[in-house]
Amino acid sequence: MKATVDKLIDQMQLLFKDLLARDIMISNVITISSDRTMEQAKELMRLKKISGLPVVDDGKLVGLVSIEDIIKALENREIQQPLEKHMSKRLKVISPDANLPKIFEQFTRHGFGRFPVVDKANNLLGIITKEDILRSILEEFRVLYVRDKRMSDVLDGEALNRSLITGEEINKSGADFVFPIDYTEISLSGIGAARLKDFLLNKKDIPEDIVRKIAIATYEAETNVVIHSGNVGTIYCFVHEDYVRIRIEDHGKGISDVEIAMTEGFSTATDQIREMGFGAGMGLPNIQRYSDKMVIVSEVDKGVVLEMQFYKKNSD
Amino acid sequence: MLLEKIIESIDLELVTGDVEGKEIKKGYTSDLLSEVMASGNSDIWITVQSHSNIVAVATIIGVKAIVLVNGREYTQDTMDKAKEEDICLLRSKQDAFVITGKIYAMLQG
Repeated sequence: MKATVDKLIDQMQLLFKDLLARDIMISNVITISSDRTMEQAKELMRLKKISGLPVVDDGKLVGLVSIEDIIKALENREIQQPLEKHMSKRLKVISPDANLPKIFEQFTRHGFGRFPVVDKANNLLGIITKEDILRSILEEFRVLYVRDKRMSDVLDGEALNRSLITGEEINKSGADFVFPIDYTEISLSGIGAARLKDFLLNKKDIPEDIVRKIAIATYEAETNVVIHSGNVGTIYCFVHEDYVRIRIEDHGKGISDVEIAMTEGFSTATDQIREMGFGAGMGLPNIQRYSDKMVIVSEVDKGVVLEMQFYKKNSD
Repeated sequence: MLLEKIIESIDLELVTGDVEGKEIKKGYTSDLLSEVMASGNSDIWITVQSHSNIVAVATIIGVKAIVLVNGREYTQDTMDKAKEEDICLLRSKQDAFVITGKIYAMLQG
């Protein structure tokens, strides 16, 4: 039996030998900087349901925290200590140009669950797990994903600088309000929306109930970025004469089916996050309910762009 | 109805915040943050959630006071943020059903 499997793997490797590490890796990796504690690493791993956390300083890979490292630190009552002392520093890495047989060899030889992909200057480019390999192979077969060309146009190209609603050009550096979303700390979620509320109330020409609608929709969008994207995002607000436009962009995991995600009650949040009262499956439905116009565009692994428009005057 | 009167009548513990002059007209009971958001504007919110994100939710929809039930404790972070945002944090050993009923009866009465 084993011989048959080995033979099969050999044949598969031949078939996919042009598949390179750069194609297989996940590039929006959740990372942590070395000045944090093991406790913080543990929390991040728990919330994001990951078993390994690359430690990155200024883009350079300096270590890796695994579940084993966490358990050891817990046993020795050293969980409060800086993770620099406890992370694995002797790392096995993969180059972005490594092909599938080479990657397989690394997995077999070292028996690790994941490998960081770094360039020659040790910049972290991505991470590869066995699951990623499987996914890439299936993707090669075009089984899993049916891609929508229009979506990748929006998320890749120049269209990122145009309004999804009206098509007019958007100058993001000229936004009236900008807030970077910190996805690593779930308790910070909502601060951007609260700040935006203060900012809009200070303008004094937008009715309070409209400001509240904007803040609620923005809160939901901000929370989505924190819980689901696994990457950084930004809130932009543009105040126009008659309306307010909010744009929230992230570069995270993306949504595979926007229609399902829009369904009330649908959520992919983990149990821990649900226990905190998030992930009720009301985020996108709430956004739709409170905004006058909304457009959302997403593709798996490319992130989400959400644009909302609110009229300054009540329609009735 | 003034918040002071509610606190006194049903024996809530004041954890942090300035009670004075806070007028309570409407309340809401839920542990799902999005549901509280969708409820629109309430003055008092009864929940078992104690992490600091509840302050963000309260700030956005204009909640003046939060009642944490079942004898749970607020995190330090929550208390710090609530002070910044002028939101009253209250506690009770009783459960959400009982507290909600009592406050509802007072507001209706």
